Amino acid sequence: MSWTLIFVLAAGVSLQRLMGMFAGGAVLARVPVLARLAALIPAAVVAAVIVQLTFASGKSLQVDPRLAGMVVAGVLVWKKAPIVLVILAAAVVTALLRLIGG
Amino acid sequence: MNDHTTRVRPDWGLLLGIGFTFVTLGVTVSVLVLERVGSESKTVVAAIVVNSATSQLAYLAVRDVGGGILAALAAGWIVASRFGLLAAGLSSRLEVGRWHRALIGLQSFDPNVGVAIQQRDPRDVVRVFWMVTAAMHIGWISGTFVGVFLGNVIGDSQRFGLDAVFPALLLAVIGNLLRQRPGMVAALVGGVLCAVLIPIAPAGLPIVISVFGAVVALKVRPVGASQ
Repeated sequence: MSWTLIFVLAAGVSLQRLMGMFAGGAVLARVPVLARLAALIPAAVVAAVIVQLTFASGKSLQVDPRLAGMVVAGVLVWKKAPIVLVILAAAVVTALLRLIGG
Repeated sequence: MNDHTTRVRPDWGLLLGIGFTFVTLGVTVSVLVLERVGSESKTVVAAIVVNSATSQLAYLAVRDVGGGILAALAAGWIVASRFGLLAAGLSSRLEVGRWHRALIGLQSFDPNVGVAIQQRDPRDVVRVFWMVTAAMHIGWISGTFVGVFLGNVIGDSQRFGLDAVFPALLLAVIGNLLRQRPGMVAALVGGVLCAVLIPIAPAGLPIVISVFGAVVALKVRPVGASQ
C-alpha cells in the first residue's frame, strides 16, 4: 500500500463524512419526517455493524464463540451493567469458548 | 431527538470502556495492516489519516484475494459510507458553526454519534460527542502504537476474544435506543437485512442498505405517544 493510496483512501472516507454532515444533514433538516428518520439511522446502521462483526467471515455467515460473547453482552446491556463489564465479559466468554474448542 | 429517548450520561465508566475498546481495536487492526504493508510508519499514518478501521480492513481484504487497487479502494469507501449516514443523522442536532460542524463530520463514528445523539440539550450533544471522540482517539492511537511495536509479542489477538470487544461496545452504545420500540425495530430490521445481504452483496453494501431499518421503524409509534 503506497503513500498515495493511503491518502486517496483517506480522502474518500473524509469526503463521505463531510457530505453526510452538510448535504445529507441539509436534506434531513428540511423534511420533518426525515429528521425523525435521522434519529433512527444510528440504531439501524450500528446494529448492522454488530451483525457483521459477530457473524461474518468474509462473504459467509458463521456461528462461532463471538455469538456467545455477544449474547452475554446483550444480557448485561439489558441489565444496565457497566460498559467495562459488558466488553470484558464478551471478550472473556469468547476467549474461553475458543480455548475449550481448541 | 424525540421525547421518548433516554439520556446516556458519559461517565468515566463509559469513557474508560470506549477507550479500552479502541485500544484493542488499534492493536488488532495495526497488526493486520503491518503484516501487509510492511512499514511501521505507513501503518501509523494510515491509522491516523484514514481514521477508519473498517475501511483499511476492507481495502486489504480485497487486495488479499487478488482484487485490483480500484476495487479495493471502492470497498474501503463503501464500508465508510455508514459514517456519512451517521454524520447526516447527527447533523440536525448540532447548533454550531460551519467549521466546527466540519470537524464533527470528519470525526463521526458509531460510538460517538450513538452516544451524542441520545442527549437532549444541543450543547450536551456537542460536549458528549467530543468527550467520547477523545476517549476513542486516545485508545485508537495508543492501541495502534502497541500493535505496531509489540504486535509480535501479543500474537493472535483473537485468542483473547478481542474481536468480540468492538461489537459488545456498540451494543452497549445503542442499548438505550433498543429499549424504545422504534429503535428496536430499526435495529432488528437493519441487522436482519445486513445478515441476509452479507453472502450476496459487495462488501460494505449490506451496512448501507441497513438504513431501510430506520425507514421501517418510522411506522412504529413509540410506547405512550399520543395519537
